[in-house]
Amino acid sequence: MKSIRLYLLLALLATITLVNFVSLLHGYQSSMQKAESLFDSRLKSTAMLIKLANSAKQNQQHSAEKEDPYTFFQIFNESGNELIIHSSNAPHIMLGELSEGFHDVNFASYRWRNYVHEDTKLQRWIVVAERIDIRYILAEDVVLESLVPIVLAIPVSALIIWFAVGLGLKPLTLFATQLSHKRVDDLSPITLERVPSELTTVVNSTNSLLLRLEEAFDREQRFSADAAHELRTPVSVLKVHLHNLGTRLGRQDEDIVLLTEGVERMGHLIEQILALYRTSPDQAAVKFEQVDVFKTVQSLIAFNYDTFDRKQQTIDLDGESHVIEANLFALETLVMNLINNANKYTPEQGEIHVEVKRHELGVLLRVEDSGPGIPEAQRERVFERFYRLHGDRHDSGVVGCGLGLTIVKHIADLHHATINLGTSANGGGLRVDVIFPLRAISHA
Amino acid sequence: MLLNAVIIVLREVLEASLLASTFLAISQMLQRDRKWIFFAFSLGLVMGSIYALSISSVSMMFGGAGQEILNASMQTLIYLSLLVFAAAVPHQNKPLFRNLTIISLVFAVVLSLSREGSEVLLFITGFIGVPTLFNSVLLGGAVGAGIGLSVGVFFYYLLIHLTPRFGVWLGYVILLLISGSMMSQAVEFMMQADIFSSTAPVWDSSSLISERSISGQLLYALIGYEATPTLSQVIAYIGSMTLFIVIAITSSTLREKHL
Amino acid sequence: MRNICLIIFLLLPFLSAQADTMVVEVRIKDHLFFPDEIRIPADTKVKLLIKNEDVTAEEFESYELNREKVIAGGSQAIVFIGPLSIGVYPFFGEFFPKTAQGKVIVE
Repeated sequence: MKSIRLYLLLALLATITLVNFVSLLHGYQSSMQKAESLFDSRLKSTAMLIKLANSAKQNQQHSAEKEDPYTFFQIFNESGNELIIHSSNAPHIMLGELSEGFHDVNFASYRWRNYVHEDTKLQRWIVVAERIDIRYILAEDVVLESLVPIVLAIPVSALIIWFAVGLGLKPLTLFATQLSHKRVDDLSPITLERVPSELTTVVNSTNSLLLRLEEAFDREQRFSADAAHELRTPVSVLKVHLHNLGTRLGRQDEDIVLLTEGVERMGHLIEQILALYRTSPDQAAVKFEQVDVFKTVQSLIAFNYDTFDRKQQTIDLDGESHVIEANLFALETLVMNLINNANKYTPEQGEIHVEVKRHELGVLLRVEDSGPGIPEAQRERVFERFYRLHGDRHDSGVVGCGLGLTIVKHIADLHHATINLGTSANGGGLRVDVIFPLRAISHA
Repeated sequence: MLLNAVIIVLREVLEASLLASTFLAISQMLQRDRKWIFFAFSLGLVMGSIYALSISSVSMMFGGAGQEILNASMQTLIYLSLLVFAAAVPHQNKPLFRNLTIISLVFAVVLSLSREGSEVLLFITGFIGVPTLFNSVLLGGAVGAGIGLSVGVFFYYLLIHLTPRFGVWLGYVILLLISGSMMSQAVEFMMQADIFSSTAPVWDSSSLISERSISGQLLYALIGYEATPTLSQVIAYIGSMTLFIVIAITSSTLREKHL
Repeated sequence: MRNICLIIFLLLPFLSAQADTMVVEVRIKDHLFFPDEIRIPADTKVKLLIKNEDVTAEEFESYELNREKVIAGGSQAIVFIGPLSIGVYPFFGEFFPKTAQGKVIVE
């Protein structure tokens, strides 16, 4: 069953049609029978009239003039072989049986219903006949008049049922549209005016499901944020102790180097988890202010210049000042993540190109590198949490936790910005385009 | 005239709508696209009009037996399509058989619609020149078509609301009965054209259920009921159904072996 | 191949021998059959040659004879009936059953 509306329309219409048409046929049949007996009794009374009006017993050698071609009469003698008198359109012989009652006969290309009456007093036979097709058409004409509306009512009922069922299903359609138009992160309950009783359970259980889901999300986020926060201090303490241990044992000790790397990675992960939490789009308490994207990028590049220098990479910045409405901390996190990624995945002596310029949809922030890029098939997945290209066996051997682009995505969503991943025109590496929409641009 | 129009149109529409609703329900159960049914319907109506227009020349072919031979071959082809269908249904995982099911269904629908449609068309268009009767024929036709289509709608929803197992089973039974009545009618046409010789009827159940009665008409549309069948008709009826069952069972056991 | 031969062999008794058959002509005029009573001998095959002189189509139909054939307006058709046992077999024009009525009397 594809559609409830179509099912209800067809089932209701079929029921109405079936019931109406079958009763129509019954009505037709009984009406026609009534008409038939009416015609028969009229034929009979005509025969009686003729019997009284004419008392001839001998052949009168002339026929009675008659205009109406649909009826005729004959009067025969007792044996039925001699015609005493007849209407001009009547046959000259006896058609059918010579016995009292009604008979159907063929004559002059028509079928006739005749009534044969034995006049016992004058010992003769009186025959009156009527054309069956005419009787039939007359009767049917009358009966049909009453049947036409029943048939015409069917398409009208179809139309009414279609709209009535549509109206009845409207709460369901509204419910479905609300559900399908819900944003992924919107877990607020669905509100419907006048919920019909059949839908109450569905709406209520959906809403309670949404509520439980929201609570679960909340708990999960709070838990990771709290955990990360709690872990910050011990990790810092660990770092200090490791530093002291390093000075005491000599920095070249292999175990110390590996341990330091491990602790660095842990610290980075904790910072990233905290950033992720703070920049989640459902964090309502984010303050927006006027931020110059170009200047932000510029200062961040300057601040981290030695990171690029260490890998002998060249980084250049193009474009001009553009002010948008943004959360400064979030924007900085976004830019840092993008240029850190570029730094990490671009080999030594690679090129990184950053651009801030006006775009038809807003302000474009573009970061291109000459690294390996991301295959097209995986571009959707890199935004998932803890997703890393090639899984854990990341061939670049780069330290990372798989949260960078997730954070970028969160921040972009927070600013209603769109992200496009592509291939860099020069160098063939990854190209990330973040477009901040026009309405977020300050006109100040 | 009305009752007569109702009966003629109802008989043809009922047969076509039972066939169509069975096929629609089966293709729904096989999760098959149902676009083809509209294609088959339009093609069937076009073919029906062509048949109706050329009925007199068809009639005089083969020494006056053209109509019978054409009808009998159409019915045999419908039967063959049903056999192909029965053989193809259990092998829906193979593309060739998937296409064969649809092709055989389209074939059967187009053929049966052209036969039924031509009769309805000939009947109704015959009255265009008779204005006194045309209205009642149109009304009767509408009533007959309405009843036939309504029964088809109910039958369709009945089939798809049943459990898939029972629904498929019932669908098969309908196709089986259609198979039997197709071949028994084909044999009847061959006797009417004097290609097979006619023999005395094996039994006469007209006093029990007359073919004239409404129940007789319904049974004729549903199971191809004849009150006075000849031996060859009975053989054709039973033989065609047996072949259908054998093919359906062989095909599904073959599939089980492959699995 | 052997199967096909067997089928043809089994069908042989049903295949009709085209002997001289009696021909009866029936006319349809103004939705009436002329003659409306056809007398034929028992146990004989008869060829009915039905001429439809009306402009409208007609369907020769008989439940008792198990025959149905559409005859377009202004054309003719052939229907074989019999061999039949003694009795009365009504037939009618399905398109105009009120008027087009007749019967085959086998004696």
